[in-house]
Amino acid sequence: MSAGTTSVLLLALPAAAAVLCACLRSARAAHAVAAAAMLVATLLAVPMAVEVVGSGAVVVGPHATWLDLGRFTLGVGTMVDPTGAVLAAIVALLATVVLVFNAWYMHDEPLAARFPWQFCLFAAAMQGVVLADNLFLLFCCWELVGLGSYLLIGFWFDRPAAADDAGYQARKGSGARGVLEHRLSPSHAQWKAFVMNRVGDAGFLVGIGALLAVSLQTGAEGDVLSFARLAALPTADLSAASLFGLSGESLLVLAALGLFCGAVGKSAQFPLLGWLPDAMQGPTTASSILHAATMVAAGVFLVARCLPLFPPDALAVVGWLGAFTCLFAASIACVQWDLKAVLAWSTVSQLGLMFAGLGAGAAAGGGEAAVAHLFTHAFAKCLLFLCAGAVIHGCHGHQDLARLGGLWRRMPVTAAFALAAVLALGGAPWFAGFVSKDAILAAALAAAKVPGGPGFGPFLLACAGSLLTAVYLLRWWLRIFAGRERQLEVTQAAHDPPRAVLAVLVLLVPATMAAPWTFGDWLPLPHGPEHATATTVALVLLALGSAIALVVWLLAPRAGRDLAAQLARVLRPLHTACAELWGVERAFDLLFTRGLGRGLAAVVARLDLGGERRLAALELDGAPRPLPASLDGVVDGLARGCADVGRAGALLHGGRVGVYLAIALGALALAVLVGWSA
Amino acid sequence: MIGPLGGCIVGPLLLAAACLLLPSRLARWFALAGGLGVLGCGALLVADFAARPGADFRWLEQHDWSRAFGAAFTFGVDGPAALMLLLAGLTTAIATVAAWQQSDRPRLYHALVLVLLAALAAVFTALDLLLFYVAWEAVLLPMLPLIGLFGGEQRRYAATKFFVYTLAASVMLLAVLLLLWNSQPADGRSVAVPSVVAAAHVDPVHGTLHGLVLQGPAAAPRVHVPRGFDLRHLALQADAFAAVPLFGTTLAVLGLLAVLLACLVKLPAVPLHTWLPHAHVQAPTAVSVLLAGVLLKLGVFGLWRIGLPLFPSAAAAAAPALGALGLAGILWGAWAALGQSDLKRLVAYASVSHLGFCLLGLASGTAAGIAGALVFSFAHGLSSALLFLLVGVLYDRAHHRRADGFGGLARPMPVFAWLLLLGALAGASLPALAVFPGEFLVLTASFTAAAPFPAFAAAATLSGILSAAYLLWTVKRVAYGPLRHGEQAAFGDCDGRERAALLPVAVLLVVFGLWPKPLVDAVRPACELLAALLQGRSA
Repeated sequence: MSAGTTSVLLLALPAAAAVLCACLRSARAAHAVAAAAMLVATLLAVPMAVEVVGSGAVVVGPHATWLDLGRFTLGVGTMVDPTGAVLAAIVALLATVVLVFNAWYMHDEPLAARFPWQFCLFAAAMQGVVLADNLFLLFCCWELVGLGSYLLIGFWFDRPAAADDAGYQARKGSGARGVLEHRLSPSHAQWKAFVMNRVGDAGFLVGIGALLAVSLQTGAEGDVLSFARLAALPTADLSAASLFGLSGESLLVLAALGLFCGAVGKSAQFPLLGWLPDAMQGPTTASSILHAATMVAAGVFLVARCLPLFPPDALAVVGWLGAFTCLFAASIACVQWDLKAVLAWSTVSQLGLMFAGLGAGAAAGGGEAAVAHLFTHAFAKCLLFLCAGAVIHGCHGHQDLARLGGLWRRMPVTAAFALAAVLALGGAPWFAGFVSKDAILAAALAAAKVPGGPGFGPFLLACAGSLLTAVYLLRWWLRIFAGRERQLEVTQAAHDPPRAVLAVLVLLVPATMAAPWTFGDWLPLPHGPEHATATTVALVLLALGSAIALVVWLLAPRAGRDLAAQLARVLRPLHTACAELWGVERAFDLLFTRGLGRGLAAVVARLDLGGERRLAALELDGAPRPLPASLDGVVDGLARGCADVGRAGALLHGGRVGVYLAIALGALALAVLVGWSA
Repeated sequence: MIGPLGGCIVGPLLLAAACLLLPSRLARWFALAGGLGVLGCGALLVADFAARPGADFRWLEQHDWSRAFGAAFTFGVDGPAALMLLLAGLTTAIATVAAWQQSDRPRLYHALVLVLLAALAAVFTALDLLLFYVAWEAVLLPMLPLIGLFGGEQRRYAATKFFVYTLAASVMLLAVLLLLWNSQPADGRSVAVPSVVAAAHVDPVHGTLHGLVLQGPAAAPRVHVPRGFDLRHLALQADAFAAVPLFGTTLAVLGLLAVLLACLVKLPAVPLHTWLPHAHVQAPTAVSVLLAGVLLKLGVFGLWRIGLPLFPSAAAAAAPALGALGLAGILWGAWAALGQSDLKRLVAYASVSHLGFCLLGLASGTAAGIAGALVFSFAHGLSSALLFLLVGVLYDRAHHRRADGFGGLARPMPVFAWLLLLGALAGASLPALAVFPGEFLVLTASFTAAAPFPAFAAAATLSGILSAAYLLWTVKRVAYGPLRHGEQAAFGDCDGRERAALLPVAVLLVVFGLWPKPLVDAVRPACELLAALLQGRSA
């Protein structure tokens, strides 16, 4: 089967499974159907990836015109390049694993039958993003990915706000701060995720519009949004193009930043990052795919796919923002007490690192490095979340790092898997993250030396982020699995998942090792002089970070007091800032939700129709005349004015003889006056 | 002999008479039959235009009216009109099903709906300006009692406001009509035919243009246009109207202003929109469906049929202002919707916001933008119908429409909750649902149009955030979270009749979202012709 045909099947299989599963009432049957479809997709995708990576060629799949608009067309079609092929295979594989895991995880969940179809929709949309051959189809699937995340985050749609939820209060991370609990619920989280993504998508649309306008102005026609055509844009003659008063390359910068804006939303970069930690309200299994291969990966993939379109100025923005987010989110992850929240902020941080790599540009090898990290991160993060799910499942929903501990005795296999994932994510030698993180740091360092590039800022920020990554990951693992059991009533029922589930999970473990990722040279990771420096720096940071985490954890029991708490006291302002998410959530809430959202909306509504009192009094005859303080009031005022004129005129025809006589005499006088003056 | 298009007008009128005369239990069947009949004609026409794209008029028929005035019962349909006819029939059928249990004066109610359908069909098929005007005003006649007799507590206020506002806005059309008549020489006028028009319209068999004999060389054909109200003939004289001085300006400018006033109030464009929330809140559910589904589209269609083709030079000059009005509507409507507590009023403001896209697309003067505006009109008919029907479902159970008076209905009413989510996502322009293609076309076309339209498009992208915010917030408040009012646990899910009205709309939203090609193909040649005429004028 050709790669083109396979790519269509990769889209069609999850989509068909989604439709089928939506019709099934039985959770078991639905999981079986969905997992089978995903397994078939995996078995199709892996050989395709091997073939495409081996040849290194871009395979163009079937293409059809969706709409023909004369000057340009909008198409639907697929293309497979090495990056897309591997990511498609990863999506299919991780989806299969997560579905199998979920069948066990949700075995006593009454709503479980809903999960497979929403999950398959999510996966199908992501495959669309990965395999689309043009920006328009990518955008459509991008939005549907948003829908998939909306459905999955709101899986437990009828849960109350966290402040009113006794279960949440009993099991939440201790000292959870910066969380607006009165508003935190699955149904609010899904709304927030969708709307925040739409903020980014507004920029995405401007980017698409700019690219379309530039293409048409340079004389292109046909499917101008196809990636093949767009890739030729930077080398085309842009002197004829102008938009918003911009012309030439600055237009490309605008378009690129527009696309990046979409990626910022989808990949939860600063400042559109508040939705991702809230998305933890969804099932942990949904998080495991959302944080790994779908949704957040889409943003990184978009920028990687469109990297040829990014001029240096746009790349600098990408690099700086990504590196800043990397450090920002890592600082928050260090002080979280909810076991899923650590992982959520870790995802934000790692995505920032990928953008830092992308910002280094293709010349410095940033594209390959970021994509490689996307892949290694996907496996490690998926495995971490599934392990977290196993822990939460075993501890009856408890996810407080202060109360867990010593679980390695009760769930040794899970602990081992989680350790492998932690080492991979932290970038320990011989593990996968080591390869990809080094490559990113090397690329950032190489880019820093280029005159007119982003400078050393992104590299330094990424280094600081890497240091904290080692700290929070090790802290996370130690607090859950190592040492003694802190609260027996929380952990005593914990156990490893059944063998069948472990047998599937174990598939992910090799991917956390370095060997599979360096096997062959399909991803030409940078091997310049920067590479040696970056490796040294990364190892020192890893050692330092691990040492900090270990010391804090080791010394804590012996000192009789928790050293972490002591440290926190010393570093109180910093700790508070991190725990309060640097105020970004509250600022966002104040500025957008309350200010530009509800506040401005209330003003507009009031200016439009007036207040409730006016509306209630509309039908009452003889109601007092309110001032026309609203648009509708002005209309009524005009109508009243007309009625008053009419009433005044009616007075003249009221049947009173005196009035008629006065009118007649007045008219006579006027006639005489006019006649005289003439 | 009356053809199918005449039948779309006479048929519903006869059925209306039958409603009044025959037993009341038959009335709803007549209304349904009328709706389905027009629906069938519209579907056939859309299929025809999609299969054989063209900018011509089809199913032409002409009956004598007044030779002295040059007026005739001329009917014909182009792609956009076919789409609107389909929408009118579909919405009437849906609204009839929604009002199946109408217990208050059912004969009168269904007869009025049928009269409304006849008037709407006449507007969409008329090719004679006088006929168009009569039909345009006739639409108001059944609407006044439909709101004023069958509406809510403030129905008198709302109905009066609706009637007076829209009537006052369109009376100026009559003046334009007379001025156009006066400006034509008694024995007609010889005009040059723009080559794009000749290419699109000339009958290859008889070598005529709308029955007018071609003169001159084929490269620069001329025709002799008789004095009258045939819209196709009037459009050929557009340059002549632009040259008629009147009150210090030209007939074309004043004519466009009059048409704009009439259409912008119907559309409605901010700030001429305040009749709409009252009308929607007071109207019964099915009438709201008709109002949002079809009546607002009269504004779009009036600009399409009269404003842009008859006065293209003035329209090209006014395009930036119109685009700004469209943008103002998009943003103002969205923010106003965000601030509403009454569900029906919220959906009404969502319509204001959405119809702003239609205005923006028409004003952009590009083929893709105009096509997008027309397809958007059609899709908005579906999405707004779905949302109004769902609010009606709630009102039937709770007898109020306050958004904060519900919560957690997804448990007792799962089908309702899924449909509400679908309607909200459609309104928020999610790809794969029918509103998206039109909105995307309008946006991209505006980006490719001349300044300041790219800036308008960039600002209009904010609507994607706002519409998602207010519509999905509504879903959250009504359907998700724990049950806030215990008695609502006993609410039954949508029953068979409600599903019969809701599910076809939902299915069509998905079908045309995935496959909008027939809709776009049906309108595109006509849009390209109009865009060419407009660009010829502005250059």
